[in-house]
Parts: sequence; C-alpha cells; structure tokens
Amino acid sequence: MAIRVNPKLIEDLTSFGAADVNMCYHCGDCSAVCVHSDELYRFPRKSMRQLQMGLGEKIDTALEPWLCYYCGQCSDQCPREANPGETMMSLRRWLINRYDITGIAGKFFRSKKTEILTIVAIGLLTAMAALTYHFFRGSIHVYDGENAFLPSLLVHLFDLFLGAFLAVILLLNAGNMWRLTMLKGKEISIPWWLYLKEFLVLPLHFFTQIRYAKCDTGNREKPYMPWIVHLGLMWSYLTMLILVMVFLPFLQSGPQIDWSVHIFGYLATIGLATGLVYFIRSRIRMHYVQYKKTHATDWVFVILLLIITVTGIFQHIFHRLGLPVAANVTYLLHLMAVTPWLIRMPFTKWAHLIYRPLAMYFSEVRRSAVALEQKSEVSFRPVLQTI
Amino acid sequence: MKSCRIGVYICSCGTNIAKAVDVESVRTYAEEQPDVVFARTYKYMCSNPGQEMIVQDIRENNLDRVVVAACSPRMHERTFRKALQSAGLNQYLFEMANIREQCSWVHEDPVTATVKAKALTRAAIRRVALHEPLENLTVDMSPRTLIIGGGIAGMTAALELAEAGHHVYLVEKQDHLGGNLARVDLTAPYLDSARDLITDRITRIRSNKNVEALFNSRVTEVKGFVGNFTAAVKNINGGSDNPARELSVGNIMVCTGYKEFDASRITHYGYGKLPDVITSFEFEQMLKRGRIMTREGKTPQYAAILHCVGSRSQEFHAYCSRVCCMTALKYVHELKSANPACYVSDVYVDMHAFGKGHEDFYTRTSEVKTLFLMYEKNDHPVIRKADPKDDCGMLIEVNEKLSGEVIEIPADLVILMVGMEAREDSGEIARLVNISQDKEGWFIESHPKLEPVATTTDGIYIAGTCVAPKDIPDTVAQARAAAARILGRITKGKIDVDAVYSEVDETICCGCRICNNLCPFSAIEFDAEKHCSHVITAACKACGVCVATCPASAIKGRHFTRRQIFAQIEGLMSPA
Amino acid sequence: MRVGVFFCQFNPEWSLALDPVIKYADNLPGVVLTRQMGIKPKPEPESLAELIRTYDFERVVIAGDSPGYFKPLFTKAVAMSDLNTEEIRLASFREHGAEGADAIDRAKAILACAVFGVPYSLAAVPKGGPVHHATLVIGGGIAGIQAALELANAGKQVYLVERTGTIGGHMAMFDKTFPTLDCAACILTPKMVAVAQHDMIRLFTGSTVEYVNGVPGAYRARIKTRPRYVDLKACVSCGICSEVCPVKVASEFDAGISQRKAIYIPFPQAIPNVYIIDGDHCTYLQTAGTKCGVCEKKCPKECINFQDKGQVTDIEIGNIILATGYDILDPTIIPQYGYGVFPNVITALEFERLTNASGTTGGRIVVKTKKTSKRTGEEEWIFDAGNPPPKNVAIIHCVGSRNKKYNAYCSRVCCMYSLKFSHLVKEKIPGANCYEFYIDMRAFGKGYEEFAERIREEGTFVVRGRSATVSMNGDQLVVKGEDIVQDKNVEFPVDLVILAVGLVPARGTAELCKLLGLKRDSDGWFSELDYNGNPTETERGGIFVAGMCQGPKDIPDTVAQASAVAAGVLRSISSGRGIGHRSSLMLSEIEARAKSIHTY
Repeated sequence: MAIRVNPKLIEDLTSFGAADVNMCYHCGDCSAVCVHSDELYRFPRKSMRQLQMGLGEKIDTALEPWLCYYCGQCSDQCPREANPGETMMSLRRWLINRYDITGIAGKFFRSKKTEILTIVAIGLLTAMAALTYHFFRGSIHVYDGENAFLPSLLVHLFDLFLGAFLAVILLLNAGNMWRLTMLKGKEISIPWWLYLKEFLVLPLHFFTQIRYAKCDTGNREKPYMPWIVHLGLMWSYLTMLILVMVFLPFLQSGPQIDWSVHIFGYLATIGLATGLVYFIRSRIRMHYVQYKKTHATDWVFVILLLIITVTGIFQHIFHRLGLPVAANVTYLLHLMAVTPWLIRMPFTKWAHLIYRPLAMYFSEVRRSAVALEQKSEVSFRPVLQTI
Repeated sequence: MKSCRIGVYICSCGTNIAKAVDVESVRTYAEEQPDVVFARTYKYMCSNPGQEMIVQDIRENNLDRVVVAACSPRMHERTFRKALQSAGLNQYLFEMANIREQCSWVHEDPVTATVKAKALTRAAIRRVALHEPLENLTVDMSPRTLIIGGGIAGMTAALELAEAGHHVYLVEKQDHLGGNLARVDLTAPYLDSARDLITDRITRIRSNKNVEALFNSRVTEVKGFVGNFTAAVKNINGGSDNPARELSVGNIMVCTGYKEFDASRITHYGYGKLPDVITSFEFEQMLKRGRIMTREGKTPQYAAILHCVGSRSQEFHAYCSRVCCMTALKYVHELKSANPACYVSDVYVDMHAFGKGHEDFYTRTSEVKTLFLMYEKNDHPVIRKADPKDDCGMLIEVNEKLSGEVIEIPADLVILMVGMEAREDSGEIARLVNISQDKEGWFIESHPKLEPVATTTDGIYIAGTCVAPKDIPDTVAQARAAAARILGRITKGKIDVDAVYSEVDETICCGCRICNNLCPFSAIEFDAEKHCSHVITAACKACGVCVATCPASAIKGRHFTRRQIFAQIEGLMSPA
Repeated sequence: MRVGVFFCQFNPEWSLALDPVIKYADNLPGVVLTRQMGIKPKPEPESLAELIRTYDFERVVIAGDSPGYFKPLFTKAVAMSDLNTEEIRLASFREHGAEGADAIDRAKAILACAVFGVPYSLAAVPKGGPVHHATLVIGGGIAGIQAALELANAGKQVYLVERTGTIGGHMAMFDKTFPTLDCAACILTPKMVAVAQHDMIRLFTGSTVEYVNGVPGAYRARIKTRPRYVDLKACVSCGICSEVCPVKVASEFDAGISQRKAIYIPFPQAIPNVYIIDGDHCTYLQTAGTKCGVCEKKCPKECINFQDKGQVTDIEIGNIILATGYDILDPTIIPQYGYGVFPNVITALEFERLTNASGTTGGRIVVKTKKTSKRTGEEEWIFDAGNPPPKNVAIIHCVGSRNKKYNAYCSRVCCMYSLKFSHLVKEKIPGANCYEFYIDMRAFGKGYEEFAERIREEGTFVVRGRSATVSMNGDQLVVKGEDIVQDKNVEFPVDLVILAVGLVPARGTAELCKLLGLKRDSDGWFSELDYNGNPTETERGGIFVAGMCQGPKDIPDTVAQASAVAAGVLRSISSGRGIGHRSSLMLSEIEARAKSIHTY
C-alpha cells in the first residue's frame, strides 16, 4: 500500500527548527560522513527525506534522531547548506513532543510565549506558597531549624512530591516511546528475551554517552571536547538532582560545612558552571555550524539552569556566612526557578537524558531482532561493541 | 606503361598503428614493390616534419607519386594533398592506405595485422601508379539563401544574413513567425519574456527589405546543387491550381524545429481522460491567459509536475529532450507566484540543470519549498482519480527512489513535461534537400562535433531543434553558426568543385537515359540534340552509381577509373 | 494608452535606487499609476484586480530585478479584471544589465521600452562606425580555432593569440570524446594544421594581449610575445635539443603526470611544431649564461637564441573574439577526497593523459607506484607503463561542482566524460570494476542518454549518491558512500579514484575583463549580452564570447558558438559598420527609438 506524502507536515516542523530541510538534493554526503550511520540506521539523509515528504508515521517511529549527537560534520559537509544536523536536532524536539502524552511539550516548542508564561506563573505560585507559609509562622530572619523561613524538611517533601510527579510522567512518555518505536509501524517481531540480552546497553550509554566520543569533530572542535563537556554537565546535573532529592536536609544543614555531603555539591556546581559557560559561549560566538541555530526552548533551558546555579551558589554562601535574610531571599529565588524547571523537565530538551539511552537500547534490541530474522540464531554482540 | 617514381610513407601514429602493425617490415616490404623509389616510416606523418619529409623527398628525389599508409583518408588526405601541392606535384597523384581504422584498430594479432597492412599498402601503390593529374574548378553561385522554418532559429539566421546585406527567402508553413517559442510565456532560467524575444526579431524582419517571408508556404521541390539551387515554393492555402514559385538560391538552411510528444500515447498518465492532466504547452496557455485552474475552475491546492514524458524511455524516445527540466522548474515558480498557497511536487528522473544559471535556478526552486520526488526511468508513475473523501482530485503513485518508498502524491493539476520529437514532415524535408535522418527522425550533421550545422549535402545547412532537442541559446548559436557558413561562402562569391566527378564519353553514350533517374543527386541531364546524357560536374558527388549502371560503359569516374580500381583490387588480392 | 507600472523586487540583496526611476516613470506618457510593491510582494490577486479595474489599465508593466517571477500573479489579476492579458510587459533591470555606473539611466531606458511596449533589445541598438576587416581571436583552443577558421575561410584576416606554446587547448589533451568515442587529436589536429597553413591567419603563440583601445569597429591592440628562444622558421623539431637538455619539470600538457625538459615541444602535433625553452627552468637562462647552454651547442640548425627578448606587435582590428576557455578546479581545497594526500587519487585531466595513446604510459591505464628518483634520490609516486592496472576504479562526480562552498554551478561535461572513463577502463582492463558516484546523471545532448545506457549495460556500477569520503585502510584506498537508489551504504576498496573536477574560468579572465571593460557573471564567466536572445555578443560593441569562457559547454556547443560568433563578425564587416557599445547609448536616444518603433 502506497504511503500518502504530506507536504504540510514540514510547515509544522519548521517551528521545531527544521528550516532548511527543503534545500537537500540528496547527494548522500551527510550519511557517508556520519560515523554513526550504518546499514540498519541510515541518517541523516534518509530522515531528511522522510521529513521533506512528510511521512509522519516513519518519523514518529524512527530511532535515528536519537543516535545522532550533533557533532555538526554533516552540516559542515552539506553542499547546499540544508543543515542536516539541525534537522536531526529538530526531529528530536519533534519526537519529545510526540512521545509526550500530555501534549504540553508541543505547546512549549510551538510558542515561546506559552512556555515563558508558564514558567513565570509557576515561579510566582512557588513564591506565593512560600510567603503564605511565612505569613503564618516562618521568619525571614531564620534560615533553618525552628520557624525557619523555608524549613528544609518542607522543601524536601515538596521536592519528593515533584520528583514522583516527574518520574510518573517520564515513565508514561518512555512507555509511549517504546510503543511508537518498537511496536508501531515495524514489520519485524521482537522476542521479549532480547530486551534482557541487550539490557546492559542502557546503563552503558546512559552513564558514558560513549558514542558521542566517536563523533568526528572535523576541523571544528578539539576531539572529544564536546563529549567531555556534555558528559560533565550531565554528571554534575545528576549529582545535584540526587543531592536535592535524597540528601536535601544534610545539604541545607550548617552553617558549618559538612564535607561528606557538600564536596559533591561543590564538584557538581563546578561541572554545571563550566558546562553552562561552554554552552552559552559557543552559542554566542557561533563559530561552528552546530551552534549557529538555537531554539527558544534551548535558551530557556540554559537561562533557567543558570539562574538556579547562581542563586544556589549564593544562598549557600550567605547561609555559611550567617546572613539568614540574604540567604532566604536568594533561596526563595532559587526555588522560584527550580520548581518550574523540575515541572518542565519531561516536556523539553531535558528529557533526552532518558530518551537517548533508551533509543540506544531499543536500537540494539531491534538490531538483534533483525539478525534473528535473517539467520535463525542471534549473533551475540557484546555490549561494548555497541559503542 | 611508363614507369613512375613512387615514395611510400608509413605512419606509426604514435602507438595507434605501431601497437599492432610492424611498420618497419611494412616499410621494407613496400620498398620491394615495383616503381617504389623508397619507403620511410615516421611517428606522426600528419605533423609538420612528417609533411616536410614528403615535400623534401619530392623535390630532391623527384618523386611523381606518393603513398601514405596511415589513418583514414577522411582524416588527413587533404593534409597530404596540400603537401604535394606545396612541392609542386599535382595533388591527385597521391593515395592513402588506411592501416589504422581498417587495420591496427580492428586487429589484435600483430602478425595478421602486419600482413593486412602490407596488402593495403601494396594496393595503394598499384593504384597510385595509374593516377592522373586532375584540376579542381570553380563555379559561380547565387548570393540568395532559402531558409525553411520561421521559428527562433530561422528568424535569427535570416537576420544575420539580411543585416549583412544578402537576400533571404524565409518560408513558413504557418501564417505567422515565431514557431514553438510563440506558444511560450516566459523563458527559463531568468523568467524573461519570450514574447520580447520574438517581437524583436519579427519587427526587424518585417522592416528589413532583404528578407522575403513567405507565409502558409512549403517547399515542394529542390533542384540543382550548392551555389545554384532552384526551389519550388507553394502556398498551401491556395489549393492545387495555384502555381509554385521558383526561387533560385545559393544555399538552403533547414530549421523546421520540433513537435511535442503526444502525451495520450502513455495510457497510465490518463492524458485525455483525466480532465486536469495537461501538457506543458497547455499550461503555457493557462499562464498567458492568467487562469491557472482545474477544469471546474478551482485553484489547485496541490499541483504536480511530471518530467520525461515520452523522453528517456524504452517504449517511446530514448533521448533526453534537454529543455523540460528547466521549464518544469520555471513552472514551479510560476505556480507559486500565481498561488503562493499551492503545494507543488516535481516528479523527476535526473535534474538536468546543466546550463548557465541553471543550478542556481534549481536551488532557488528548492528554497520555495518544492517537493522533489525521484522515479527511475521506465518505472513510470501512475495517475488515478482520487476518492471523494480525499482533499485532492487525483493521486499519483510513484516508486520514489530517494526514500525507497512507494508513495502517492495528492494533485489537483498535473502538468506533463512532454518531450520533443521530430516533425512528421521531417522525412519529406530530408528527401527534398537530400540529407539523412537518424532513427529518431532528427537530421544528421556531417560531423557530430566539429560540423554541427553542415550536412553531407553541400550547401544544405541544419540548425536548431530539427537536429536534436535544444534550448534557446544553443538554438540561436546554431542558427548563427549556419549563417556564418553561408555568409563566408557568399563573401567569397565562388564555389570550388572537387576534380573527382564522373564524365560521359559522348562518343559511346547511346542515350538510354538509365543513369538520369538513378543519379541520387540529380546531377545528370539529357541533351536532346546530341541525344546523350551529360553530368553537371558541380552537382556530382562521384558516388559512381552511373558508372556502374551504364550498359555501354560510357561513363567514367574521374580518379576512380576501372583500371585504377582493378589495380587496387589486384594489389589487395595478389599473394605477398 | 493607460499604463500602470509596478515595481517588484525579487532578490533582497539587489540594490538599485528606485526613487529616480519611479519619478521618471511618473512622467512617462500614458503612465497613470506607479506603485512600489517592495521585496517579493505577495498581494491578494483580488485587491490587485480591483486596483487594475478602477484604473482600467490598457497595459501593465512589472519592473524590477527579475519581474518575471511576478508575472503569473499579475496576469491572474489582470484576467480577473477582464483586461487584456497580452498587454503585460516586463522591465527586467537585471537581465538587461542595469548595474554599475549607468545603472539608473539604463533602468529608466528599460522601463521606457516596457511602457511603450517595445523590446529593449529592439530599441537599444547602438550605431557603429566604419569597421576594420581584421579580427583578433584571443585563445587558441577549439573555440578560437573554429572561429578563426570560419573567418579566414571567408577571406578575412585573423590574428590568433594563444598564451601557451601551442594551439589546441584542452581538447588536444583528451583521448576520446563522448559520446562517439572518436579520438580527440584525430579530429582536432587537421583543424590545427589548417590554422597553421592558412594564409589569412596570423598565429601568435606564447603571447598575451597587453592592451586594447579604440572604438568599436576600429580597435587597436598590442600583442606581447614572450621569448621562445627558438627560431620559429628554422627549427625542424628534430628533438636533439630536448634529448640533451638536463632539466626535467612536470609537463603541463600531461597534466603533471609526466616530465618534460626545459626545452620541449608540448606534444608531437603541436602547432607551431617548434621547440620552446621554458625560461623559468632553463639552467642557462637562470644562471645568466654561466651554466649549461648545451642545447645551443648541439642544435644542428643553430636556431636556439638565448638573446631572444620576445616581441611586441601592434594590430588594428574591427572585432575581438574571446575564446579563453577554462581551467580545472584544484581538488586539494576539498579535504575529504584526499587529493594530494593519497597518490592514487587523480583528477579527470590526469586520467585523460594517462589513458591517452600519446601519454606517458602509451595509453595503458595503471596505478601509481613508489619509485626512487635516479636524479634526486628521493621517493616519488609515478605512473609507469610497467605498473599494474587498477582492478577497481571509483569515479566521483561533481567534485567542487553544485556546491555552495566551491562552484555553485554545474560544469556540464563531467557526467559524460566520467561515463566515458568507465568505458575506457572496462575496454582496456578486462574484468575491471568501475563505480560512478553521481547525483544527477546529466546526459542531455544528442546521443548522450543512449551512451549512458550503453555504459550501464557494460556493467559499470552507477551509484546514485556522490561519495563523501576517500580514505586509506592499510595500503588500500576505500571509497565510502550511500547508494540512495539501492537504499544501502556502500564501501568499495579501490585502486584508483578519479575526481570529476569542475571547471573554473581560465586564469587571467579577471584581468582580461578589466582590460576590455566587460562584465562577468556571479560565477566568474564572461557575461553575454542576453542569455537567450544574444548568447554570443557582449555589452561592449564588437567583442564576442565563444565557448567555455562564457560558461561550461561540451565540444559541439562550443564549436557551434564559435561559428556563431563568426557570423556576427562577418555581418558587421559586410554591412560595413561595426557594432557599437550598448552602454554608449543615451537614454534619450533609446526613448526616442522606443517611441518611434512600430512592433509586429
């Protein structure tokens, strides 16, 4: 049965960043230079083709966009400035929107107004909540302990609640991703035990992002640099998340420094700061093709994270210096940024933290399934070969 | 028979000959032949030192015959004849043995190749011994020119000649000038006005007294030869009784153009059945009238353009029609201009954007978000009517090559880029002016590269899309090229006639007139008083048909006498 | 006549001060409305139709850099308002060369013509003065040769100026020509000989045009001939000098794959068939006569003259023909093909010489191998007739062409010559595999598509998808790409990679442009007067363009254009008047003519 092309789809995707995809005349250069493009998962050209033709189902069920780390080599080589790398990026945004069962992601990507207003609203709500509490018992002059302005236990509970909410949404979306990419529109059957066989792929790529190391940075950046920075950012973020979610009371204790906990905080902060600086610097200088275009949601991502980091640092310092008022104010600001940030997580770029390793996992499962189809027994591919 | 002094020269043509033929043994062998003074070998006989060698030998060893064993005489016979002339020897006392095309290029085994080379050389030596000195002559010519076809090519050529001050008859079948270009709205790739292009020429032609345009007319007969043709031109509206007009011209130029491919021949495109499947020329009409819409008068939301209709296909025409790709891209822009909301799909095989500014034009077409879809030739798309529930009138099913998917494209209007094909009357024209056609019906140039506008018949030139599909600039260039040839000849005023032609020995001719009708160049007239035939030397191409057929052996082909030919055959056959 | 003028800009970068033009339009007879529509306007056809109806125009003029892009829109609107769609005129400022110093006046003139409904090309016909019968042809390639012969055969004097030591140009370097596969030298050399033998052609090799001045029809030019150091008349090209010459340099004619001496003849059929000394490499000349000079001693005809200072010739001509041709793009600027890094990655021109019977390997197609140079003792990669033939050959199309970073344009001939290469390889090396990596197979000419089919049938693998990378796997060349039509990635181990490099304007084109006051297009080729209507003339009167220097072309098209140019020259000669500069026309003249002309 012939598939109906849909020239309208591309118009919708333009708001996700796919601006130049029509320029592609399919010379195949991009696919040939990409180190991750192989027989089974061939991109970016093929993905661009599906986008040009508006083959909606093919796009929604594709894993390819997640296999790309956007080193920029393809866009650099493109003879017609069709920017394949950016196309893959916008496809990832599109998929985040397609996986999202709530439909919020789509709204954020399509209009920056909606997103910013939501963030501001949530921020204000947080502030109001805090101030209401302050009206009844909390005192601006007290940082922790009895009638503290923002008792860490309370915040901790709030965090846990948010975390749970976040986890649920993410789980549902991940499930949706699995449904789309592994069940829907794929003619091949996948025995359940393959998921076990390939399971190690998931942690490997989640914690190492090792494939990013393989990316050919061409003559643009120092080899491994983008990977190291990205990995650093991810690890620091993870550490922070865990600290906040699990060890918040210890984190907020003081004023004296509890090295057993704070050392991690400091390291993570350094990691976050470096990552952010690198990110912002490259986006502003735009020396390399992969930094030339930045979607509104990406800016929001960085700016929020920047605010969080800065306010975090200051509230920490003020607290240690024994300046409760300053500490409380910065802390409040910190929370006003953190809340929307956390709520926003599953609907934006951040979600690729989960989706990408999942995609790697799924892609390997599918690979074995294909092998299984071709010759009745599976050729066992050690996990390290998936690098 | 008086003996003569023959010099034989064997060329290695770099390695072209030497790789298969042992030129040295050919040389020693040649020297053993009767009347041969000596034989020499050289790497490149055609090069200046090679020719110099011949000239010096003729002067120093007073040779009176020369044989060069080298490439085809078509290649360098003239070169060596010139050499003989410059040495003061009659150029016809020369013979060439083709040991390259007919020997080294077609044989792998050096031994047999060398044997054959020897035989060919020997044959040439035997023949040249019997050669006689001959003289070329010149005849007067008419400065007038007949141009058949009033399209862009015909008009351009006519103006080149007329503005140079020479008289031109421009014969056009229709009642107006402009040809196929008159049916076009804008030209690719700059979307310039085609109308301006034509108006400019028509106006200059009308206001130039040197051009005599004959409308509704066709050439019915052409007699004579280069420099002195007489053409009969009839008015097609006038019926049979109106007399044909006799024009005497020196040169004739054929630019009869092309006709578009009949799209209804491809059944799975549904042209003629599906109302909104139209040809490129029908779309040009829409553009001119400013009404780009479906048969029901709706503005198309989806438009599709289909390339290579009748071109590059097994069942229809193997060749590419050269202009359709750019025209199609032009349509994309025109559709978008008239209706920016329209989704345009362009279904192509290979995008032939080869000319100046073409690739840039293609790029700009991508910029306006055109959906380009590629199918493989001979795997044609199929157009069918859409269901009422669809948001489009038709669906085109394509095995799309860049995605590897079988897809269907929504379309309300489908434009078929019909290719070019030779006009139905091209065969008739070819017979009239005595030029040949290829299997597709295009006229054949005398050399595909270096003589793109000349034909095998002297004084007959071809230009534009009657030779092969072409875009406007290339057509204009060809038209001017042909005009240049004619201008050149007119400026010189006289025509050289080759000394090789057939002669009737009036004492033997019995006047049976068999030869008169057999002559393919109608170069033999019958003299009623003398009651014998005689040859118009300037028209004779020395094909030898008359010589072979004359029952009384009264006709002799100069430079191809029986004795010469038989001597050559003997030379070829006699054992080494 | 009620005329409405609409100014629409297509290219956002296009800059022409429209205000004076608009003011001018307002005062033209018949113009009832002028409107500035802005950049890429998309007005509602309905409202436009309404406007047209209210003014009830009898003629609508669309003016701008490329007004054609808006014609369908306006035609639609005119049709909606039931007016005559025949009366829509275009004032194409860019197409008719409204740029540079006189841009505004030119634009006004173009506009006036449109308003009066007269083609600009018809109104803007400059009057020329008396014309000199001699012609200067710059460039001795096939285009220059053809043009020169056309004119000379018509009995007109021709001065043919060639920069290198011989005529013949690139065509002389080729082995076979597509699609007929006849040997290039075989069809070219007779013409070269004809040039040499022709009484009406005066040949200047090793020469350049120093300056051109004067007026159309009566130009004066100075031809500067570099010293040849060999007597043109005396030399019989016996070759002794070359044998004894100790200096070896890369041969230009062999595209650098073989070596020639410092005193050399470019190729055996060179015209003039006379040796030439390369002053930049000759030891004697470099050491100011203190070393070597052995050729002078050995020359049997004493025709070597180290004192040769070259010469300067002043000529008077009526017309000038430019046939300067092209150079090939240097692929070292494209890193991923590894040209200059991997020895067995070669350019198309190098392959032409490799496969040519008169080439360094006598026409054997082989791979480069590492040899130790006897002279310098250092290792070098060279083609040697004894080397093994390649079993697998990759031919990569569009190298530097159709690429915004290098040549945005298509070089027109590469597809066909690449297919020809496959044929030659398969013909000479039985069992060899050829891979053609292409984007679009541009086989458009007479017999080209059939040729492409034939090559496919011969078993060449055509890969739809230009390969991106050539890499080294051990000592094995590997070409990696995507076969789009077969829908798979491909990776072939190959022995030889041929880069179908694009064509660029010949070096010196820019200088020549300055010299003659000509325009060049965005890609650097000479601009013709009118792309469709007049592809052979230029803005400057009596200066014509022929062949590649106007844009890439194959041989038949080049030859046709070269002959066509001759027509223009002969026309001007026999009409007795030269062709004037279009730029020399006054606005008032064009306006007056446009008013007076009655078109049909």
